[in-house]
Amino acid sequence: MSRPHIDPVLLEVLRNRLDAIADEMELTLLKSAASPIVKEGLDASAALFNVQGETIAQAAAIPIHLGALQFAARRLVHAFPPSSMRDGDAFLLNDPYDGGTHLPDITLAVPVFADGHAVALACTMCHHQDVGGRTPGSVPTDATELYQEGIIIPPTQLFRRGVLDENLLGLLRRNVRLPDTFTGDLMAQVAAGRLGGVRLRELVTRHGVQTVLAYIEELLTRAETLTRREIEAIPDGTYTFADSLDNDGVDLDRPVSIQVAIHVRGSAMTFDFTGTSPQVRGPFNSVPASTLSAVYYAVRAISDPSIPNNGGCFRAVDAVLPLGSLVNPRPPAPVSCRTATIKRLADTILGALVKALPGRMPAANSGTLLVMAFGGTDPETGQPFVASELAAGGMGARPHKDGIDVIETDVSNCMNIPVESVEMNFPLRIGRARLSRDSGGAGEFRGGLGLEKTFEATTTEVTVSHRGERFASSPWGLHGGHPAPRARAFIVRKDGRREEVPSKKMLTLQPGDQLWEYIAGGAGYGDPLERDSDLVLADVLDGKVSTEAAGAAYGVVLTSGGTAVDHDATKSGREALRQARGPIDWVFDHGQSGRESY
Amino acid sequence: MQIGVDIGGTFTDIVALSADGRLVLTKVPSTPKDLLQGTAHAIRRVLTLASATPADVARFVHGTTVATNAVLEQKGAVTALLATDGFEDILELGRQKRSRMYDLDMDPETPTFLAPRRRRLGIRERVDARGRVLVSLDEAQVRVEVTRLRAEGVQALAVCYLFSFVNPAHEQRTRELCHEVAPDLSVSLSSEVDPTFREYERLCVTAFDAYLGPVVKRYLRGLGETLRALGVQAVPQIMRSRGGIVSAALAAQQPVTLFLSGPAGGVVGARFAAERSGVRDFVSLDMGGTSNDVAVVQGGEPLIASEGRIATYPVRAPMVDVNTIGAGGGSIAWLDGAGGLRVGPRSAGAEPGPACYARGGEQATVTDASVLLGYLNPETFAGGLLRLEAAAAAAAVGALAARLGLDVVATAAGIHSVVNARMADQIRLMTIKRGYDPRQFALVVLGGAGPVHGVALAEEIGMSEVLVPEAPGVLAAFGLLAAAVEHHHARTLQSAVDTVDLAAVNACLSALDGAGRARMREEGVALEAVRVTYAADMRYVGQAYELEVPIPAPLVGPHVLAAQADFHAAHERVYGYARAGQPVEFVNFRAIHTYPLPRPVLRTPEEAHHTLTEAQVGERRAYFAPTGFVPTPIFDRARLPVDARLPGPAIVEQPDTTTVIPPGYTATVERSGNLRIRRSS
Repeated sequence: MSRPHIDPVLLEVLRNRLDAIADEMELTLLKSAASPIVKEGLDASAALFNVQGETIAQAAAIPIHLGALQFAARRLVHAFPPSSMRDGDAFLLNDPYDGGTHLPDITLAVPVFADGHAVALACTMCHHQDVGGRTPGSVPTDATELYQEGIIIPPTQLFRRGVLDENLLGLLRRNVRLPDTFTGDLMAQVAAGRLGGVRLRELVTRHGVQTVLAYIEELLTRAETLTRREIEAIPDGTYTFADSLDNDGVDLDRPVSIQVAIHVRGSAMTFDFTGTSPQVRGPFNSVPASTLSAVYYAVRAISDPSIPNNGGCFRAVDAVLPLGSLVNPRPPAPVSCRTATIKRLADTILGALVKALPGRMPAANSGTLLVMAFGGTDPETGQPFVASELAAGGMGARPHKDGIDVIETDVSNCMNIPVESVEMNFPLRIGRARLSRDSGGAGEFRGGLGLEKTFEATTTEVTVSHRGERFASSPWGLHGGHPAPRARAFIVRKDGRREEVPSKKMLTLQPGDQLWEYIAGGAGYGDPLERDSDLVLADVLDGKVSTEAAGAAYGVVLTSGGTAVDHDATKSGREALRQARGPIDWVFDHGQSGRESY
Repeated sequence: MQIGVDIGGTFTDIVALSADGRLVLTKVPSTPKDLLQGTAHAIRRVLTLASATPADVARFVHGTTVATNAVLEQKGAVTALLATDGFEDILELGRQKRSRMYDLDMDPETPTFLAPRRRRLGIRERVDARGRVLVSLDEAQVRVEVTRLRAEGVQALAVCYLFSFVNPAHEQRTRELCHEVAPDLSVSLSSEVDPTFREYERLCVTAFDAYLGPVVKRYLRGLGETLRALGVQAVPQIMRSRGGIVSAALAAQQPVTLFLSGPAGGVVGARFAAERSGVRDFVSLDMGGTSNDVAVVQGGEPLIASEGRIATYPVRAPMVDVNTIGAGGGSIAWLDGAGGLRVGPRSAGAEPGPACYARGGEQATVTDASVLLGYLNPETFAGGLLRLEAAAAAAAVGALAARLGLDVVATAAGIHSVVNARMADQIRLMTIKRGYDPRQFALVVLGGAGPVHGVALAEEIGMSEVLVPEAPGVLAAFGLLAAAVEHHHARTLQSAVDTVDLAAVNACLSALDGAGRARMREEGVALEAVRVTYAADMRYVGQAYELEVPIPAPLVGPHVLAAQADFHAAHERVYGYARAGQPVEFVNFRAIHTYPLPRPVLRTPEEAHHTLTEAQVGERRAYFAPTGFVPTPIFDRARLPVDARLPGPAIVEQPDTTTVIPPGYTATVERSGNLRIRRSS
């Protein structure tokens, strides 16, 4: 196609409109979906694709979905060539090994027709409450095969020219625990997809199909050009980093290593995961669609936010994902708990980018979204209950700012559950939910604090599916900044006995037993001995840093009342610490796992 | 005589309505350092214009930005927070979600400035979800801590204990102890400010209440003194976020209800204007210098949100559901990294203002584009207060045009297309989000810039008609005179519909009614004329969000079933489906007490002195796509005869705004004073 004259006004109007259509699709999906995880966890996405399967516009979803829909769209146009699609068709899939991510995420695509041809796909993805398998909710933490995680749907046609395939729907319904909720969510996806189709057709009718397609291509090209310009600013070279997951939920003593080498050549970037652990037995494997979400998140995080949000941003980016590894497993490896893996992939990539973009990247975030499910039978109602908990840790310190205390970071962005809501509805009591003192890594800029929270079973036995992280490794500090202390958890039984809890385990609480959680904070940035002593004092007065840590980590000595800095003692104290430590000749500080330089 | 004053960022608008229905309106520059100076100036000026004396003022109603400004500028009282031990960080933890997903350099999004951690204290006490005391209040600790805080200069205290909405005894006792050891301390209890569940949201609104209390009290006391100094005897009334008014003394007791005072006045004013044309379903669009406010009115009632946001902070107080984006006359046009033309959200504001103000602004704005497209008259802009420099507008837009490779006019038209596209999406989202089809609604345009863009917007969305009220530029001030006295109370009482304890519910409704009537008694209004409506927040068991359903009181069995059916229907409308078999529960109950005031009576326009020809004051070339510039007659709104029809292209000028009627549309001058614009048949 020859490059037409581009009117910058129409270009902006169309960009705005395409983004708004994706937003409206997502809104429709969120509103009309039936399951709480979609409505409250916002675990859903919507996007428009061209018939090559490239993203035209995507609604602001959680970053964990960034790569996912694109894979599904590509698989669907491969399985069902656009020339064979008809108006009123709809397609779906969830097979992680054929365009999906994990089984609860079902993608549904509706082709958009203009002048008798399919010109685009309106796609939605939503996390379904239950897709069958071994456990309610279809996310068994100790699964060892995909088959235990639910029904597997390869690329499949659900509607033909507007007619629903009742046999297929009947088969799906028979395989899930909540067939009505499932159908409700699926039909919400159909409705959102069709709405996207209607809106896009309005646009095409008004401006002409060739014009709209040409302008879409121009938007993709501009996003590509601008992203390439950002990459060109990075010196050519290979930037490597390694980090690890605590374990795979099955083999509890074995850390799972993740390695990345980012090759920058001119305006292109390759993310090479060679050296990453082989695929694991437990459900922490991450298929390419999931893995690339972490890659795409990192690309967006280092780019100008005004760059159009479309597939052009990722044309300059590719990845090497060794087959049979954690980041590209062979079937039927289980994949349901891949969120923890995507978060650690993001940590690892951001770590490599520290070397590529000196002075721009933050120290490590907590690297954790603590996911727990409390289950049992409520003695008052006799009904089974499941209460979920999604709790964040701290943000890593930035080159010029402290990290934020307790906030969702990188690829995840979930809300917490109010304490009052939990206690009003479940036989649980929360004893505290507060910032965990000294949990942020020390530094010239301090890491954000993690969370301290306790849960007590009140009237009945409660089982807890516990998925934590950073119990076995530390969020890493930068340029002299300290790592954040590791996360930990323990149970205090009713009789006072204390039992340590590993990062991933099924637990049982009897009435009166308490589960104590300390979620990791973010790591520090820069030499703590250079931190403004008044800021250290403020942290002590705010109880965010203890007097002991102020002395030991920051070399700041307070006057006897503890309300002012003793400047003389601080000066000599800092000098002594500096002498003992020697010059900072490392970049990353992993704590017990050692230090490394570029 | 009744006076309404609305203080905006740039101008203070004032309207005076005399007993015979004569309306006088004017505006004076706002005085941000001491807002009351501008107010006094405005009152003197409007009285002169109306040939009235201060003694003639029977009512004085005020829309204020004092609460919003205090938060945005962080100039509230020195505040401390008492929470249940172990939960003193709820203010900082918030809901842990971030709004800027890819921004590595973001700042905290919870209002920690209200009380840094050293002033957030955990108090030993605990109540469970049923209100049973698990740990008694440690009174000695409260005494010691409050004494210390007072000594450290704390002026206001927020108290928010878990489950205080079920059992407020510990919070109430805490206040008694505060009065003992620090009698001058201002104390806000969460069980009074907002006795509903979800601790972060309740804590935030309570902390805002404490933080704002002293500031708002000082301001309203000053307002009273200013009025008395001028010789105005009327007790001032204040517009609140929900669109009702209260006496200043009561407003000072609930400062968190004032955040949307200004925009609520605009919506109430738009409703008054629309009703005069028999329009009850409409979208109001208030486009000023820096921002555009969109609200939806359905069946004559503004849609209300039970919670809103100020910056990134949740404020759980009912408010007119207004969506604001940075799109106004002063919005700056710029090129993004991709070379695309963007408009806003940054604004040139009043200083330096658009390039055509010739006050040093060099960047092209929407107003500059409007001048170049022939929509605005440089000589008579803002009633002639400001002379616009078309050459400066051309230079600013020209600089952008050169970078875009377009000519100046195409760039100016482009600026309009882009800003209109943003506002159109804003209207779509506001209506669709609530389950309404925007094409079923009229568009009521207000603000100085609204009538310039209204028809283009309606066309973009497919809305059938546009109403331009008589004085769109000061409608927010006028709306103050059209509002009712209103009080709202809410309380959490969670109960499944199937097993609802009607005695408990009716006790709750009766307590809410008592609270509302007590407020009305303080207002000094005739209690027998007070209307009360009740509502319940309902949801499917297990959901985390509620929908408000009207209910009668007292509640009896059949009402419960009706409420359940209404809930299913509301769910169907808003969310697109209902689940008939799914258990439903009540969560909160609400009572709204209203005392209607006589609607303002405007003098009906005198019979036409002028013909349409006489109303035409000139002609200039204005730009309409796709044709380009066409000769366009210019009319003076004040001289337009009733029932006249103005086929587009036409432009109507008046001191506070300019209405653009494109080709293909016809405006009718209604007896109501509104211009009604529809597609020409």
